[in-house]
Amino acid sequence: MRRDHSGGSRSFKPDRDVEEFHGAYVPYDLAKEFIVALLVVGLLVVVFAFLFSSPDEAPVTIKSWSMNSPVGFAQTAITELDGTSATANYGPPYNSATPGATQSIGPLSPERWMGVHHPIDTSLDYVIGPLKTLPNRPALDRAIGRYLSAPASMRNAWDSAYEKAVASARFVGGAVVVRPGHYGPVAEMMSALTSMARSGALDGALLSNRQFYQTDYTKPLMFIADGSYLSNLAQARHLQGTQWGMMNETGNYPGQAWLWLYTFWYQVPPIKTSPNGDLEVWSIMMVLTALLVLLPFIPGLRSIPRLTGVYRLIWRRHYRSHI
Amino acid sequence: MLVKIDPFVAVFNLSDPGRYIHWGFIQISLGNLVVILVMVVVFVAAILVPFRRDEGKDG
Repeated sequence: MRRDHSGGSRSFKPDRDVEEFHGAYVPYDLAKEFIVALLVVGLLVVVFAFLFSSPDEAPVTIKSWSMNSPVGFAQTAITELDGTSATANYGPPYNSATPGATQSIGPLSPERWMGVHHPIDTSLDYVIGPLKTLPNRPALDRAIGRYLSAPASMRNAWDSAYEKAVASARFVGGAVVVRPGHYGPVAEMMSALTSMARSGALDGALLSNRQFYQTDYTKPLMFIADGSYLSNLAQARHLQGTQWGMMNETGNYPGQAWLWLYTFWYQVPPIKTSPNGDLEVWSIMMVLTALLVLLPFIPGLRSIPRLTGVYRLIWRRHYRSHI
Repeated sequence: MLVKIDPFVAVFNLSDPGRYIHWGFIQISLGNLVVILVMVVVFVAAILVPFRRDEGKDG
């Protein structure tokens, strides 16, 4: 029996209570340990940097994408214009276009709760807006005006015809060439957008925001991700979610091995193919994190260190001399 | 003739395409596996290797 803080008494439980230490105390220099650890780790960082350097992949930009895969860029760009791309139908936080596009577990749907707070209108933000920034292009300005003033049914017909034609387009003489058809002003707009992308100007147009330093790469990244170019690069480098990519780094560099449990759930059915996979994995990890944080309060789990006895191995001299 | 020496070239080149080990549905890069094994070795060594200054001392 022992006395608690309120003056009462309760039985001694080894998971909850500790016996008062009656052994000897010795001084320990924590500042010395900190400095030695800092110096050793600092030295290791310098030596490892000298031996192995660090990953230095060239960034994937809209320019690099359209230079390497101009037809793929045009095929994606038309889906941004006609609103059929993945971004156009993503739902919150970018738009509210498609009911049911958000992930949810029963009533739990954080995406819906946060709402549309980073709006992206793919037609205006990715195509028409950037094209309007091009100076001294009267023919292009007329094409944009014609497109915007046409009835929706006419725009859909042009978009649909171009989308079918660009599937078998070729890149000849620095331009995306599609077979002749009734594309209205869309062919000219797509041609101008592809040239703008290949010059690097589209990267700049999509990065423009109200800050002096450009740190928000959401728009170009979503645009690039709508095509297959980025996912093909990721696939080749084992960075896809289905390849345990969350814990991988490019080349032979070690990656984020501590994310093994997070990425593990993405390999397990039915999460692997679930449309709510991200939310399910996040929920599982939150439950496991709560279990870890609350470990001292959970009977049974909190007994594991005592029952496994690793601490007796660490302090073996102490226990050898006291038993 | 001047020879340009790049001071930032690593002794070991790890930028080549990565090597991966497949075991059932598990995929792990050789780099990650080496790091995990080193961590296990360091952990076991930290427990089992005695501190010389502690020899003869209690605990």
